[in-house]
Amino acid sequence: MNMQSRVFRRLAMSLVAATVLSTVTVVTAREPFTKDELKAMDEKLTASAKRGYDMWYGARADMSSNGLACANCHPDGAATNPQTFPKYMPQTDRVMAFRDMVNWCIENPQVGKALDVSSADMVALESYAFYLHRGVAIDTGLQTRQTAGPTPKSARGLNVKGTGIGFDK
Amino acid sequence: MADRIDRNRRQLLALTGKAGVTTLTAQAIGVNLGLVGVAAAQGKVEPFRFAIISDPHLYSGKDHVFDKQLEDAVSQVNALAKQPDFVLVTGDVAHQGEKDQMEKGKRILSALKAPLRSIPGEHDWYLDMGETWRASFGTETWSFDHKGVHFIGLNSILVPDFWTSKGLTPAQRRDWFMPLNSPVPGLWGCGEQQREWLKKDVAAVAPTTPVVIFTHSPLWDYYPRWNFQVSDSKEIRQILGKFTAVTAFHGHVHHTVYNKIGNLTSIGTMSTSWPWPYPPISLPFPEYQQNRADPANTSDGMGSAAIDLDAAGKAFVQYQPFAESLPPRLKNGFKA
Repeated sequence: MNMQSRVFRRLAMSLVAATVLSTVTVVTAREPFTKDELKAMDEKLTASAKRGYDMWYGARADMSSNGLACANCHPDGAATNPQTFPKYMPQTDRVMAFRDMVNWCIENPQVGKALDVSSADMVALESYAFYLHRGVAIDTGLQTRQTAGPTPKSARGLNVKGTGIGFDK
Repeated sequence: MADRIDRNRRQLLALTGKAGVTTLTAQAIGVNLGLVGVAAAQGKVEPFRFAIISDPHLYSGKDHVFDKQLEDAVSQVNALAKQPDFVLVTGDVAHQGEKDQMEKGKRILSALKAPLRSIPGEHDWYLDMGETWRASFGTETWSFDHKGVHFIGLNSILVPDFWTSKGLTPAQRRDWFMPLNSPVPGLWGCGEQQREWLKKDVAAVAPTTPVVIFTHSPLWDYYPRWNFQVSDSKEIRQILGKFTAVTAFHGHVHHTVYNKIGNLTSIGTMSTSWPWPYPPISLPFPEYQQNRADPANTSDGMGSAAIDLDAAGKAFVQYQPFAESLPPRLKNGFKA
């Protein structure tokens, strides 16, 4: 390689490096979220999880025609294992997302009307179930006989004063 | 050893739905069972069988799936080749404590060939503080001696008054007991009045007499967040501490569970309505857990139980699931 080629090569490498740095600069250009912004976002999620909790315990009448709610079989989200979805479910002979399983339960044990899978109410049910399982490793596709759900912070005794929302926040 | 239960599924299915045909009016719910005997004082047990049906949680209206499941449990018990001397219903007959729900339960259970005894659950109780339950099933605190065994039933779902100061209606008070993890009512138990009654009840019973006790919730600190406990279970175990052996049966948890604390062996029964999952704790005897219920099989995870007491007063427990819900450890029964 002659001198001219070496110069061109260095110029090209510098250009690539500059481009990469420029890109990185763009990605990190946004200011970190402020405490107020984070608080506002957390409040939105909590509101959705609260709505999900209410629905889990029977607040939406059209989800059941026989009185059964999600919480009849899944108190504190036990035995839902949202972290294992999508997974193959024998009762439908297909791989299902968590929200599909929610609708299966609504239509079968609860004999109710399935939710629009893209609705805010479906997201609310997911918010509640996934919030309870935060920190649990994603294990997509896992078929297990595990039955216990997450351990709420007040698990060793009822939260007698109560948050009224059914999960530790 | 008593006869093993005939687990012929076809026999069960043939009987299913026929509950009500063989109603024996003389064995109507709430009548005096006439079981008081003198054998307990003699310290000798004449072997016999009793059965347990638990947590029917009946709703109002016709043809609810839980009606059929309670009828199936009644058919299971009536189909036992060796009939039980009596059947215990360990509470939560009426999901919302409504009169029509209680009457439906009484009607379905009246098809049992054997006499009935019952204790209340929280779902039966808090709409009218037990008034409708008592009218259907009698007193909630009782004991009797039968063939050498002392039987006790207690109301384990009592909590201090949280409703008066809040001005709650009866329905609002009842509704706070609907969620398993309801944060408002607090931990329930038997209370001082029943503990005093229990002290007097067992005072004259010989320590060698086998004792069998029924409560809706377990007599140990299983999982208080879901009220899987009796808040004064320690005091009750102390009152019963003089006995050589106490066998405690409970409902409420809707699954099989087992524990031993001192002289007390505790056994949880399946419901006839739906199976609760196991809570997120380590069980002292995990081998007594039933299988995870298949949600696609509406009969899975539920059933009744038959218990044979031998000459020593030891219990042999056989769960009778509606579907194949039991691991090998439990399939053929076990000594308590």
